Amino acid sequence: MLFIGASRKSLWPRLLAGVSYGVPLLFIVLPLASFLAYGFFHLENGNVNYTPSLGNYIRFFTDAIFIPVLWQTSLLCFAVAALTILFGYPVAFLLANLKGRRRHILLLLVLVPLLMSYIIKIYAIRSILGGNGLLNRFLLWIGLIDQPLTLFVFNLNAVLLTLTVLLIPFAILPIFLSLERIPRSLIDASTDLGASGMQTFRHIVLPLSLPGIVSAATFVFVLAIGDFLTPQMVGGQSGFTFGRIIYSQFGTAFNWPFGAALSTILGIIVIAVIMVGNRLEHRHT
Amino acid sequence: MLKLNRRKALGLALAAPAILRTTNAFAAKELRVMAWQGYADDDWVKEFQDQTGATANVVFIGTDDEIWAKMKGSEGKDFDVFAVNTAQLQRYIDGGLTTPHDVSKIPNQKAVLPRFQDLSKVKGVMRDGKVHAIPFCFDSIGIIYDKDKVNPAPDSFESFWDPKYKGKILAYDNGEHNFSFTALTLGIEDPFHLTPEQMAKIKEKLIALKGNVLSFYTTPDEALQLYKSNDIALIWANYGQQQVKAMKDAGANIAYVNPKEGALAWLDTWAMTSGVQDQDLAAAWVNFLLQKKIGEQLSLRTGFGNTVVETGSAGANDKLVWLDFVEDATKRSDMWNEIKAQP
Repeated sequence: MLFIGASRKSLWPRLLAGVSYGVPLLFIVLPLASFLAYGFFHLENGNVNYTPSLGNYIRFFTDAIFIPVLWQTSLLCFAVAALTILFGYPVAFLLANLKGRRRHILLLLVLVPLLMSYIIKIYAIRSILGGNGLLNRFLLWIGLIDQPLTLFVFNLNAVLLTLTVLLIPFAILPIFLSLERIPRSLIDASTDLGASGMQTFRHIVLPLSLPGIVSAATFVFVLAIGDFLTPQMVGGQSGFTFGRIIYSQFGTAFNWPFGAALSTILGIIVIAVIMVGNRLEHRHT
Repeated sequence: MLKLNRRKALGLALAAPAILRTTNAFAAKELRVMAWQGYADDDWVKEFQDQTGATANVVFIGTDDEIWAKMKGSEGKDFDVFAVNTAQLQRYIDGGLTTPHDVSKIPNQKAVLPRFQDLSKVKGVMRDGKVHAIPFCFDSIGIIYDKDKVNPAPDSFESFWDPKYKGKILAYDNGEHNFSFTALTLGIEDPFHLTPEQMAKIKEKLIALKGNVLSFYTTPDEALQLYKSNDIALIWANYGQQQVKAMKDAGANIAYVNPKEGALAWLDTWAMTSGVQDQDLAAAWVNFLLQKKIGEQLSLRTGFGNTVVETGSAGANDKLVWLDFVEDATKRSDMWNEIKAQP
């Protein structure tokens, strides 16, 4: 009896552990590993040649287009991260200072866009930005301009703006959480000691919310750099990013090995950014 | 006019089965058809069955690769007739997966549009003097233009490079097609087999095109939305008549034209498999589908051009260049990326 009970006891946890390791292994680790492996194959007369080589990586470093595009894309995503923090911080600050129902309603409003399909949001933004889109028509109507502006029509500015709008909730949330964790007593102490509101913000609140800012920046950067749809849809003829190069390897060139190698390179950058972010966060906590 | 036609058609449809059923040669026979959606509609299949007494079993396919997998998997034995485009057809002929048609068994082929009359002039359907496939359905990739903004109508691809339309052009995001149509624009005879020198020249030309377009689209829906929220004059219409119809339905004042350099066009055909069980029945199927009535319905329902009645896909004198496999699709895609990466 004792034996049966014991074996039954040890079977369940093992089964559960098996499932909880097995599912991520099957759906995350294995696909990633196959990407890694594919990156070392190459295309020959339209078919994949399975002899491992470094050809794809050599091509990445020697061809004139990949590194510049990757660099520009990284700068773009960095700018997106900066903008989302710039615009997201005040919202998070307001959220942290609100109480009760008001806070819940504002939080809900911030989160609602996340429930909407990503594509629908891009479409909506496109109809706002176009040459005779909502924005231009409004500006013409109020007489601020007499010709439609081309500043935000299908170029890198449009990509920047769209990504910022799409990703801003991912910046607001971590900043809000870090602001919320600041003990009230520290701010009270600062005020008691005669610091002005600005001084308290600069010396107490801002440094203590830095981990939130760092994780916000990491989130936004990582999400932005993997995006290939937004640049395609609002970037026009100049919105060419690294994500679109990868997409074209799978969608039109049918060069899966090279696409896999480029994805691996992107993956390394993403992991590096997350690690740097992690380290910065821990330094500040 | 329409009323009379309809009544006539109805009368024929009602009378035909009664006449044919008495002399039907294919009773209890089965025809196995592989087709694209829209090429073997239920009402046609029913009418064909009533006329011939045979049973037609249709399997619909979604991609070129699916046709190949199904045909190759059974070495052609699972089907009698199949729909395939002229570019794809070549590998089936190479692989011995087709049986040539006896055109005398398809009398309706005599009444097709002039363009499709002489099958030796339709690139890809004949080999070694034998007809491997009968043209059935096609569409061209021409120019959609806004009638309010482009006057007179454009007649050349060169309009896409016209500084007058800078920022008012939508082109398609695909290296393969863009190299082909630019080759036609530059007067290159065979746009599907380019030399490295020709490709370099085309690349320069496409970089210039990039400066003149507003955006490169991928879906017809995307193009329509871009058209609505921007000042667009010209569109390279990758989706042909489908795109024209969608834009007209949305109220756009547009028209469609095939340029004088020749428009790229795809052509779907009916081929008999190597495992065809009854060649006469297969021929009867193709002949049935080449009726004027079916052609009209096909074009009405799908928007594509048919081979028996003139449609918006191409005027009688338009030059069409049937699509073919290109020398190196990967190379074209890579060069297209280089073009797009140009600052």
